[in-house]
Amino acid sequence: MSRWLGLVALTAAALVLAVVLGPAHVALADLTSSDIVRTLRVPRALLALLVGGSLAVAGTSLQALVRNPLADPFLLGLSGGAGLGAVLALALHVGGPWGLPVAAFAGALGAMALVYRLGLVGGAQLDPRILLLAGVAVGAFAGAITTAIVSLAEAAQLRNAFLWLWGGLSGASWNTVFVMAAYIPVPLIVLYAAARPLDLLALGEEPATHLGADVEPLKRRVYLAASLLTAAAVAVSGVIGFVGLIVPHIARLVWGHRHRSLFPAAFLGGGTLLLFADTAARVSVAPRELPVGIVTALVGVPLFAALLRRWTRG
Amino acid sequence: MRRLLLASLLAVSCRPAADRPASAVPPPAQRIVSLAPSATELLFALGAGDHVVGRTTWCRYPPAALRVPDVGDGLNPNIEAVVARRPDLVVLYKSQLNESAAAQLHRLGIRSIVLAQDRLEDVARGARLLGPLVGQARAGDSIAAAIEGLLSAPPPPSHVRVAFVVWDNPPMVIGAGSYLDQLATLAGATNVFHDLRSASATVSLETIAARDPDAIVTLSDSTAPPPYASRPEWRAIRAVRERRFIMLPADLFGRPSPTAPTAVAALRRTLEAEVPR
Amino acid sequence: MSDGEGAELLAVRGVTYRYPGAPADAVADVSLAVQPGECHAVLGPNGSGKTTLIRLALGLVHPSTGSAEIAGRPAAAWPRRELARVVGVVAQREDNLFPQRVRETVLLGRYAHLPLWGGERAEDHAAVDRALERCDALQLAGRGLWTLSGGEYQRVRVARALAQEPRLLILDEPTVSLDVRHEMELFELVRALVDTHGLAAVMITHHVNLAARFADRVLLLAGGRPAAQGAPSAVLTRETVERVFDWPVAIEPFDGRPQMIPLRQPKEPT
Repeated sequence: MSRWLGLVALTAAALVLAVVLGPAHVALADLTSSDIVRTLRVPRALLALLVGGSLAVAGTSLQALVRNPLADPFLLGLSGGAGLGAVLALALHVGGPWGLPVAAFAGALGAMALVYRLGLVGGAQLDPRILLLAGVAVGAFAGAITTAIVSLAEAAQLRNAFLWLWGGLSGASWNTVFVMAAYIPVPLIVLYAAARPLDLLALGEEPATHLGADVEPLKRRVYLAASLLTAAAVAVSGVIGFVGLIVPHIARLVWGHRHRSLFPAAFLGGGTLLLFADTAARVSVAPRELPVGIVTALVGVPLFAALLRRWTRG
Repeated sequence: MRRLLLASLLAVSCRPAADRPASAVPPPAQRIVSLAPSATELLFALGAGDHVVGRTTWCRYPPAALRVPDVGDGLNPNIEAVVARRPDLVVLYKSQLNESAAAQLHRLGIRSIVLAQDRLEDVARGARLLGPLVGQARAGDSIAAAIEGLLSAPPPPSHVRVAFVVWDNPPMVIGAGSYLDQLATLAGATNVFHDLRSASATVSLETIAARDPDAIVTLSDSTAPPPYASRPEWRAIRAVRERRFIMLPADLFGRPSPTAPTAVAALRRTLEAEVPR
Repeated sequence: MSDGEGAELLAVRGVTYRYPGAPADAVADVSLAVQPGECHAVLGPNGSGKTTLIRLALGLVHPSTGSAEIAGRPAAAWPRRELARVVGVVAQREDNLFPQRVRETVLLGRYAHLPLWGGERAEDHAAVDRALERCDALQLAGRGLWTLSGGEYQRVRVARALAQEPRLLILDEPTVSLDVRHEMELFELVRALVDTHGLAAVMITHHVNLAARFADRVLLLAGGRPAAQGAPSAVLTRETVERVFDWPVAIEPFDGRPQMIPLRQPKEPT
């Protein structure tokens, strides 16, 4: 119980910190009236929570699905697809405030469909190992096309699409927060409903079947839900690494391997890590800003190492 | 075949290679490949445009440059395409990526010169270096003198604060390391990110909002406001809400250039029209 | 349907199966009928189709001819959750992707009984304790799986299958890599579960002697085909065993059951 209280307190602290701290000086007394706080800091903090949480839950479920602790939401080719979508949108001058995220989302879904189809090449059963290989291959292929477009394109600013892809949360607004908040509950609920059978899947597909799991539909549902979460995250914030890889392991070290508790813990943990990382990215080298993915690695890896040390000793 | 080609190339360009003008001045270059837009513009300004036999895809100014064959990128250039133009001088942009290109050209016996092209001083220095190499030493001196004169004159008092936004997500702005920052100062404006020493940097929207520029300056040939102008998070910035965007055409403002005096005058006029005192 | 056959927990009739792309049938024309309170052994050399037969019986692969029914219903027609309440399986291999504790892993056996959204109930924890106790593993409950000996680990896996509260227990080579004591303990455990709790059990093994000692009926497979089927004393004759295992043996009775003694390689005639 105290673990949950601690985690919720940490999340709350991260939220408060993200709203109070920033490169611009806002007096505590003006916090509620400041435009900067209301239109920039608060939506950005909430988006960090939603994106970080989504990535961590997607990573947790994919690690259980492909039964590989190294699985990361972006290993399945989605980042490559999203990057291709974004670059195409820029190259074709798709306008509007939603042009880029929608194109990135469409690209991620395209990559997801292709990987899924390739995962079924062996027959009617989704083979997680082929899924992983297909993800890597599709990601590399989309990346190659993206690079080709960028290097051949006329507009020099297309090169900046890479900046966006490796970007962060600077596109946050209340609109993106509302869209994410309306979108992610469906895949999250699908994954939560799959929590128990995912516990079984850690034993292997046939042992899971023997214990009563419907493995084929389970794999499909989990793959699609995790991909939809990742696609949304990449569409609003680009590729933010390490959250989906490290937070699931931290959650496993503290909460064990039952997905019923793992999913909520990973969601809060991922959101908290990204909140802290984004705050650090905005504040540490102000007025400049660091790419948030770098900070998630700088914060996440030592945290992971410390927990791993404590856990292997105890 | 290739060996034959290389042998013939070496035979025609068998001059001592040098990165800088040597004390014994070599004959003026007759076939020049320019691998930087600013260098191409400078060569044309020096009156050596007729000797430019290769340019990058991005060299669009002056319009006459468009008639010169395109050899691709200027960063990490395609050496074979460059060499195929049979140059006796190659002008490279100063960058880590171009070190190996310069070394390769050296091995092929082709003279190359590496020019920094980030600030207005670089234009003056470049003019003095390139002028003698292309037989236009006097033109080089006069361009350099004009730029140096522009830079040494006391800048007018600043009456307007601007931010140069070069990319929207993540937001990237121009810092003191860029010629644009210099142009702003000379035109009587203050770059609110003058404290950043690099040419450009990623910053948060919050920082731009807090520094509260009077106008957002963007390099663009279009007069329409940039696409991010309508995004809600950008509207936290006063200049965006008030739609004070200054669009600078790429021909005049796209690189540090000998036309800097004209650019400064144009910017001063635009600022006075857009942001009255 | 036919209520008379409802007494058969497992009814495999004349199944044949060939893996896609394989040159020969893995299983051909094999039948197996298991009643409550019976302990069956499926015996045969490596690659004789033992595990494939079990996969056919559980409806995991579909026979090209023949049929497999569990409790009177075609095996493939069972929803997996419902089937898991009737049949518990200790598979030959399983992974331990993430380190678990004994009680955690045995609780996984309760999955088929749990409501979709609710948590574990008192009855689930009681079932876990009962299963651990029957397997003499209650004292292991708090241990990590990675700290267990091979014998303890297999007992825990049997306990997990028991937590499913099945009527039929299937064990696929459960004593591979166990020493004599742990091997005997496991066979004694299964026999006791059959005798005292009315379970039916199917043990897949290549241990001729243990099958002969513990099973009521033996199915001897050779190259996917039934070589012999019936009571151990009828099946395990010298001729049959030598033919199936391709090695000279002697068969001696012990405790009323046939026991096999493999012979030394006969000297080459000079």
